[in-house]
Amino acid sequence: MSSGRIFNKFKNGISPPSFIRGFAWYSFVIVSWVPAAIFFKNNIGAVGEVGGESMYPYLNPTFNEGFSKDLCWISKRNPAKNLQRGMIVTFWSPSHPEVLSIKRVIALPGDKVITKAPYPYPTAVIPVNHVWVEGDNKDGRKTLDSNHYGPISMNLITGRVTHVLRPWRGPVRWWEFEDSRRVIKGRIQDAPHFD
Amino acid sequence: MAFLQRASRTFKWIHTRYAGHPFRLATATLQSLLALHVFWKFGYSVEPTWGASMLPTIQVMGDHVLISKQYRRGRGIEVGDVVAFNSVYEPGETVIKRVLGMPGDYVLRDTPGRSNVMLQVPEGHCWVIGDNIPYSRDSRHFGPLPMGLIRGKVLAVVFPWGERRSIGREDLKPVEN
Repeated sequence: MSSGRIFNKFKNGISPPSFIRGFAWYSFVIVSWVPAAIFFKNNIGAVGEVGGESMYPYLNPTFNEGFSKDLCWISKRNPAKNLQRGMIVTFWSPSHPEVLSIKRVIALPGDKVITKAPYPYPTAVIPVNHVWVEGDNKDGRKTLDSNHYGPISMNLITGRVTHVLRPWRGPVRWWEFEDSRRVIKGRIQDAPHFD
Repeated sequence: MAFLQRASRTFKWIHTRYAGHPFRLATATLQSLLALHVFWKFGYSVEPTWGASMLPTIQVMGDHVLISKQYRRGRGIEVGDVVAFNSVYEPGETVIKRVLGMPGDYVLRDTPGRSNVMLQVPEGHCWVIGDNIPYSRDSRHFGPLPMGLIRGKVLAVVFPWGERRSIGREDLKPVEN
């Protein structure tokens, strides 16, 4: 068999039974790995393309100059655990449930945030199990973030951006992010709860 | 007879392929488990429920509900549907409530009779309320629910089998005067 070299890995040296020889057998072998791929994508990590300019200048710095989009590695292992200010997370946008947003965590439960323009109140205190996310873009019209929809539930977070792959910039050094001056740090014990 | 021959041939094939091949067997087991997991995550799941908030639709204890994940993130959800969603405040907890308002709808903010304040459900959110209004913590307490948190739609109670019944928006009836 001419394609033997490619499929030897799956075949492990034994020939498949006569009634599902050939194409059907190899299709089955490939399809049998699809659940594993889905599991990996949802629970271990995935490559994601950054679509917009909300994280300018950190991600998509050349957004206005061409069609190139940044690629990043999104870790999906316990993304909402031990979140810190400065981390970049992906989450289902509260205002568009089928859109994955990518923003930076600005404030944690208990913190007080001095909000920006579209938010109806001058300050916001972050409740339990919520975070305040914002895009890096200084222009508030270029980023749809917590200033529009308020603090987001940590249960919406699906992943954490750990590496920028294209152009290669290596691991995301979130700890070098200077905390926003619009955040007054608080204690998690003081975070509001709806009870 | 042909069927028996076929079955015996399949069995023989399984035997030659997996007997004495621990690595092959382990791989096949792992693949089956992952396939089940994906079915559970994106197809259907049966989950136990607990709590008084959905009485009389779902009992306080012992009911197991069938959840269709086709409706995850609020796809195709309409007013009256019962949805299972990740709790807004508690990590890792699933909550079951009934959708009473979709984006753009005007809903009563508080328990009926307490105030007449109405609010409009924002884009991408829905308004969820338990059927047992006095014993439910729902959108009256935590506000509009982002539809991204919805895991699926509750189709039926399937266990205990003798009390099986379907759950749907038909249960929601207009108030009679």
